[in-house]
Amino acid sequence: MAKFEYVLAKTMDDAVRLLNEPDIRSIPLAGGTDVYVALRVNPVWFDRLVDIRRIPELNEISIEGDQFKLGAAVTFSHAIKNPILQRVAPFLVEACKTIGGPAVRNCGTFGGNVSNAAACADSLPSLVCLEAVAHLRSTKGERQLKVEDLVTGPHQTQIEPGELLTHFTFKVPPENARSCFIKIGRRKAQSISRLSIAVIGTVDAAGMVDYIRVCPGAAVATPVRFPKVEGVLLGKKPDKEAITAAADQLVADMIESTGRRWSTEYKEITLKAIAERSLTKIFLEDGYHVN
Amino acid sequence: MLINFTLNHKPVSIDIPTDITLSVMLREHLKLTGTKEACEIGECGACSVLLDGELVNSCLVAAPSVMGREVITIEGIHAEDGGPNDLQRNFIEKGAVQCGFCIPGMVIAGEALLAIKSEPSRLEIREALAGNLCRCTGYMQIVDAIETTAKERAEKPNLSKRER
Amino acid sequence: MADLKYIGQPAQRVDALDKVMGKTKYVGDMSIPGMLYARTLRSELPHARIVRLDTSPALQVPGVVAVVTSADFVNHSNFGFPISDMYMLAHEKVRYVGEGIASVAAETPEAALEGVKAIICELEPLPAVFDMAHALDPDAPQIGPNRTDGKHPNYIGHYPVYKGNPKEKLLQCDMVIDQKYETVMQEHAYLETEGGLAIPTPEGGVVVYLSCQSPFIPRNDLCKVLGLPADRVRVIVPPVGGSFGGKDDLNYQTAGQVAALALKAKRPVRMTFSREESIIASYKRGSMRMNIKLGADKDGTLRACEFRSLYDSGAYSSQSPFTSWRASIHAMGAYRYDDCTVDIDTVYTNTGYAGAYRGFGNTEVCSGIEQAIDEMADALKMDPLEFRLKNCLKVGDVTPHGQLLSESVGLRDCLLAVRKMSDWDRKRKDFANQSPSAEKRRGIGVSALFHGTSLGAEGLDEATATIEIHADNQVTITSGLTDYGTGARTVYTLIAAEILGIQPERIKVHNPDTNTAKDSGPTVASRTTILAGNSVRVAAQNLLQNLDWAAADLLKCDVYQVHRVGEDYIGPSEELVSWDIVVKHAREMGLVLSAFGRWSAPQIHWDEEKGTGTPYFAYHFGAQVAEVEVDLKTGHTDVVNIWAVHDIGKVIFPQGAYGQLYGGISHGLGYGLYEDLDYQNGYAQSINFDTYLIPTSMDMPEIQGGFVEATFSAGPFGAKNIAEPAMVPTAPAILNAIANATGRRIRKLPANLERVMLGKELTKKGSPFSCKVALKIT
Repeated sequence: MAKFEYVLAKTMDDAVRLLNEPDIRSIPLAGGTDVYVALRVNPVWFDRLVDIRRIPELNEISIEGDQFKLGAAVTFSHAIKNPILQRVAPFLVEACKTIGGPAVRNCGTFGGNVSNAAACADSLPSLVCLEAVAHLRSTKGERQLKVEDLVTGPHQTQIEPGELLTHFTFKVPPENARSCFIKIGRRKAQSISRLSIAVIGTVDAAGMVDYIRVCPGAAVATPVRFPKVEGVLLGKKPDKEAITAAADQLVADMIESTGRRWSTEYKEITLKAIAERSLTKIFLEDGYHVN
Repeated sequence: MLINFTLNHKPVSIDIPTDITLSVMLREHLKLTGTKEACEIGECGACSVLLDGELVNSCLVAAPSVMGREVITIEGIHAEDGGPNDLQRNFIEKGAVQCGFCIPGMVIAGEALLAIKSEPSRLEIREALAGNLCRCTGYMQIVDAIETTAKERAEKPNLSKRER
Repeated sequence: MADLKYIGQPAQRVDALDKVMGKTKYVGDMSIPGMLYARTLRSELPHARIVRLDTSPALQVPGVVAVVTSADFVNHSNFGFPISDMYMLAHEKVRYVGEGIASVAAETPEAALEGVKAIICELEPLPAVFDMAHALDPDAPQIGPNRTDGKHPNYIGHYPVYKGNPKEKLLQCDMVIDQKYETVMQEHAYLETEGGLAIPTPEGGVVVYLSCQSPFIPRNDLCKVLGLPADRVRVIVPPVGGSFGGKDDLNYQTAGQVAALALKAKRPVRMTFSREESIIASYKRGSMRMNIKLGADKDGTLRACEFRSLYDSGAYSSQSPFTSWRASIHAMGAYRYDDCTVDIDTVYTNTGYAGAYRGFGNTEVCSGIEQAIDEMADALKMDPLEFRLKNCLKVGDVTPHGQLLSESVGLRDCLLAVRKMSDWDRKRKDFANQSPSAEKRRGIGVSALFHGTSLGAEGLDEATATIEIHADNQVTITSGLTDYGTGARTVYTLIAAEILGIQPERIKVHNPDTNTAKDSGPTVASRTTILAGNSVRVAAQNLLQNLDWAAADLLKCDVYQVHRVGEDYIGPSEELVSWDIVVKHAREMGLVLSAFGRWSAPQIHWDEEKGTGTPYFAYHFGAQVAEVEVDLKTGHTDVVNIWAVHDIGKVIFPQGAYGQLYGGISHGLGYGLYEDLDYQNGYAQSINFDTYLIPTSMDMPEIQGGFVEATFSAGPFGAKNIAEPAMVPTAPAILNAIANATGRRIRKLPANLERVMLGKELTKKGSPFSCKVALKIT
């Protein structure tokens, strides 16, 4: 006898209905790249998989006005190939390229990456920098939560049973924004993030930073922005000293958040390095010329 | 659960348990053992198949989810006469095969790349194989085989799939 | 050997076609009617007494057909060579996490797992020892078998090499290096996991298809533990999906388990491992702690080497006595010394267990000595490659073991070749002038090696092959040695084709089968080309003699007047007669169209007490250069180039030789940079490929390889070997390159992110969790 059932949802309404049928614990299935891995080492924790991969709306990538919309079932491969996303959020595309191998990217989805909420999830830092909002649907209606708030801990989110994560929206960053994603892995491919960072920012006509978002991955329990770090740079000329100060602040904030752990000795040096590199890249190398 | 899909260009209808993966369906239920299992967590690529033309790890695909879709396994990759196609011939000619356990997955990954990129660089070939582990070859001769096939196909762009 | 037609010429692997088509059937692909699925209950404790083992509840589980424990075997299923300390299933005690306790056969894999869970197994934890440095403490818990010589039961052996007195010599040397080096456990990570299929025979015997290296070892073990005569136990080796030394003992246990279950259930039984079960239960490359002292003169002449080390064999001795011996022979590297001593002590602990793995002790010691050699060159302000050239072994030298090297020593040529190919001299200069503030720094490093071919002086070293022409004129070869991906079948085919003067396509090589092949010892130690290759050569020559007589008879001339034109025969009459006609005539003459060929290795000897002798009859030599780019701020090491030139004697199958070279380098790169099968309190911390990282296609550089053919007169066509030694120098070459780039030396493998950046390791607190879960679920 099968340990769980499978049902294909054709529409969002269908999916929400199926996820909320009484007396049957249902969970959504998108790419399967996390569910089947988890099933290998955990007893089955659900009665039914509701396959949401073929719901058209969940696969959409679009822009409406200044709002970018990213369906929860959009795969990383799909995103990497999307010219609009390449233009508005190249650092998110770069992050997607570092996930798994080609086969995993062909199946893995943003919705899955966010709802699985691994501390090392590679799409999260960029989504947090973009202040992406997750859209959730249930029988009670819709609600929205910032991705940063949605993820509450490693493998923990505010998604309620029966709720369907349908898509993400974020405001298209300013035209002149520059972004960067850097990941440190133990291998050059198919590696889990040892540490990563996503940054995006702009400078004004006077060469002062007027927009900056910084979010490291695998550094603290959940991917969050570091306002103090952003504060160091905001309104300043992003020269070498300012960047170093921001990187130092980031390391201090990380240690304040996690305390000193077995890996801190390594991470404090490396986080500083990738913070400096990413900020240098966006402010001093990619088209801004700050003298 | 009864599902219908296209397997290696032929329609298939099969009654399967709902909790199995595509790799289990292929190996245990359809006896297509060319698709291998070596980690079952999507890390090694031995179970690679093409799903609607895209490379996937069949160990992470819900078997029922292939309903109505097209699956190509290593058994579906061959020349018209049933022998090796050009990529498979080049795997043999370039010495890309040792123990052979990863090879069906490597051939599938190679075909997936060549379907979307006509003349990949060696680095692009390496990127395309990054999810397929091989412990025998150090990958050199596998990259050679795919590179050579790409060049040959680029020289004869009008060759149909069946003529390869 | 001017006009060789097949040897050394372009050729393709004989078994590649089925593999690229997905048609090759490995054990896990085999399925026969009525087959049961087996699963083994494995220990969740690193050291414990089995106080209660009740298998009857398992038999109540629907679908379960049979259960076996050590009580179902003769002498509690005891086996093992050279020390019989293992059991097919645990007897009285378990000594590592993952050790098999009882096996269940059932209608489905799920029912077999339920059966395993139903077994009542009460384990009383015993104190355990995990640190090899404490294995011989007086109060250390006993792991090894009782001894009668008064030594600690956790002591496996002492392996020395003695030449002169390096202690004294070191005092006279201008420069002395005294350093500690450490290696960790490495997982073979063959893509095909372990598996066996046992089929009971009507006569009460059993046929086992077993993914393994050496079929006669399990056949003989099965006879003993099942109490069956040789004719009732047959082991066949189907295609094997990689082994690298890793498919010995655990696979013989698997054979014992499925065979006993099949005999009990009177049905075929197959067992295949999940990756997690494979990693938890299987043996590894053992870890080693070395202390190396080297002494040299100002002019760069090496004078003395004092090498001491401790080797951790884990819960069972497995191949460690042999591994340790090979390590001792190679510990000083391929150099001349006035005085040299090696002392290796090998012990039991409760940390998994160690067995054979590519390089077999040499891989471990080479990573130490080749770093020490570099440290000495640095101290003397000499170029490390020049330093090696000055001191490396050459023809006419006497090794520290007392062996005169009379032929086939190509090390100098290997070193010169990699120096040129890598543009060594320019790069060493350029890299010394990198900006001190650069965050990414390049480095280049070299390593040399020697590697004794075949078993060495501690084992009987011979092989037998058979060759036969069948009614349809197909030629078949048998060998007791296995091609587990190495290309050996192709080597046999090319040798036989060359000797017989026929197309390789006419020849097929049977799967190793104990009913048809002759016991030729184990398929280990990179001995197949020389041993099995020579036996095939002799067999083919014996067969050829009969064909030549038939041709002479047919051509009405003397045998010496018969010549070959392609496959055809020609005599004084200038008339061409085809090979098929000659074969037909030979058959009509009543000549035997089958032959066997036996080849025994040259006589060698080793004095275990005095630590001197002739350890191996020939040596492989090689040199590799690695170029790296190290990110000083993240610790990431990118191996951007590797050049590798090895003296393998005559190259028989070039494409296969290059394949072995590239593949070996990938094992070495993993060993140098990522691979660490860390055990914490006896529990493996990586049990699948998400955390146990082996190199991907992106991690491997484009490799430039080459061969020096310093032919070995007793080898087939002058061939030596390649399989193991290809990996041996890679890790030290990379470590030396990292030191060149960063100025910091990493003396404990692997050079992972933390060690490269901080120069030390960071240890995460371990957990038994994933092992325990994996043994119950997957």
